Amino acid sequence: MAKGKINFQKAIEELEAITEWFEGTEVDLDEGLKKFERALELASACKEKMDEFENKVKEIKKKFADI
Amino acid sequence: MDANVLSVSQYLQIVNAVLREHVPSGEIVVEGEISGFTVKDGKWIIFDLKDEQDAKTKVACFGTTYKILGAFENGMKVRVFGYPTVKPWSTFQIDVQRIDPVGEGALKRAYELLKKKLEAEGLFDAGRKRALPRFPERIGLITSRDAAAYGDFLRILNNRWGGVEVAFCSVRVQGKDAVSEILEAFDAFDAMSPEERPDLLVLTRGGGSLEDLHAFNDEAVARAVYGSKIPVVCGVGHERDESLCDFVADVRASTPSNAAERVVPNRRDMDYEIAMMTRRAEERLFEIAAHHKRMVERATRTVSFALDRERQRMLVLSRRSQDAFASWASRLRDRVLSYDRVLRQLDPTRVLARGYSIVTVGGRVVADASLLEIGAEIAVQLSRGSVDAEVIRTNGKGKQKMI
Repeated sequence: MAKGKINFQKAIEELEAITEWFEGTEVDLDEGLKKFERALELASACKEKMDEFENKVKEIKKKFADI
Repeated sequence: MDANVLSVSQYLQIVNAVLREHVPSGEIVVEGEISGFTVKDGKWIIFDLKDEQDAKTKVACFGTTYKILGAFENGMKVRVFGYPTVKPWSTFQIDVQRIDPVGEGALKRAYELLKKKLEAEGLFDAGRKRALPRFPERIGLITSRDAAAYGDFLRILNNRWGGVEVAFCSVRVQGKDAVSEILEAFDAFDAMSPEERPDLLVLTRGGGSLEDLHAFNDEAVARAVYGSKIPVVCGVGHERDESLCDFVADVRASTPSNAAERVVPNRRDMDYEIAMMTRRAEERLFEIAAHHKRMVERATRTVSFALDRERQRMLVLSRRSQDAFASWASRLRDRVLSYDRVLRQLDPTRVLARGYSIVTVGGRVVADASLLEIGAEIAVQLSRGSVDAEVIRTNGKGKQKMI
């Protein structure tokens, strides 16, 4: 996962899926460790994304403004 | 003197040309009260505009539903903008271009009527409202650069979330150009390619009177919100204000600040949510690990218990086998002793001791006297010592007994 280039929505969705998986009854320990590692990776990527404080404003022209 | 002779059509053409040239239609509006309002075939709007002072004075008005949006009814005070025309059937009328309700009462009434009309058409249906993406990356903003709404929206947006690109389209939000500029903005966003199209649009302005908000209650704007390819969030006025755009929009926000709150999550909430998710996963993982540990412990206990039991069994067995061996050994000794006794009875030296002798010839025991020849040498073994002798007589035969 490239730094700061994550799709936040996708990352959160994957994190939610992992959490849901953990809520299931049949949880394999090895698989669980792998998934937990992935969850931590996603969480830290999401947090990194949330540290972006800037919002860019770009003005656009109205299409028919000059007609 | 010859007058110019004109056909009726030619005559009307001149009259209309004069009306067009000499009535400053671009600069005037006619104010009056609507009466006899009808919409024919859903296309033609026909009514009379009555003079307020003199009810008998009126002018016929004609327009199309294509051009004139909004809802009107009899008794409504309006300003009509249009061109005077004399029709071929000799009716004088105003070709209406626009009708503006006048005064708070008429505006309110027009608003109510239009609201009812759009609602009946299904523009407010909850079923058609689109969901907003949870984490938008591009937001289209339609408002005035000079309005407080602009600053409020961006400030709250920044407070809550970052990394968003705001495509800002500045429009007037009140006055006569507001409607056309807002419509152009929607057209501009709709015309964007799917790649550059924002995830959602925010149409917003601060509060104001019904007259200030007219652009947000305009039928064309409401329809633009309805027809937008991109989901629309509408935030107009203060908490209590409502506009038709609010009802048509996919999401209705109460203020410009609230619009920002509706479109992006809060960092703190997301932080908490993410922490909760990882913590939940961690807890479950520990639970599972603990479960495995318990299983291993139980298995270990079971195994050591089985081993104990086995050791115990071996102990009992070996004790029993020792006992068995001991009794076997003693029985064996008894038997050996009894054999010893028997064997001892059979010992030839013991027989010799009782006075018996053994006769041998050439080392072989002789048990039958008839097998001995007269004169043969025999060895006689006694209990103590041995004698060599010569056979002189067997079974009474041989050398005469010397008596």
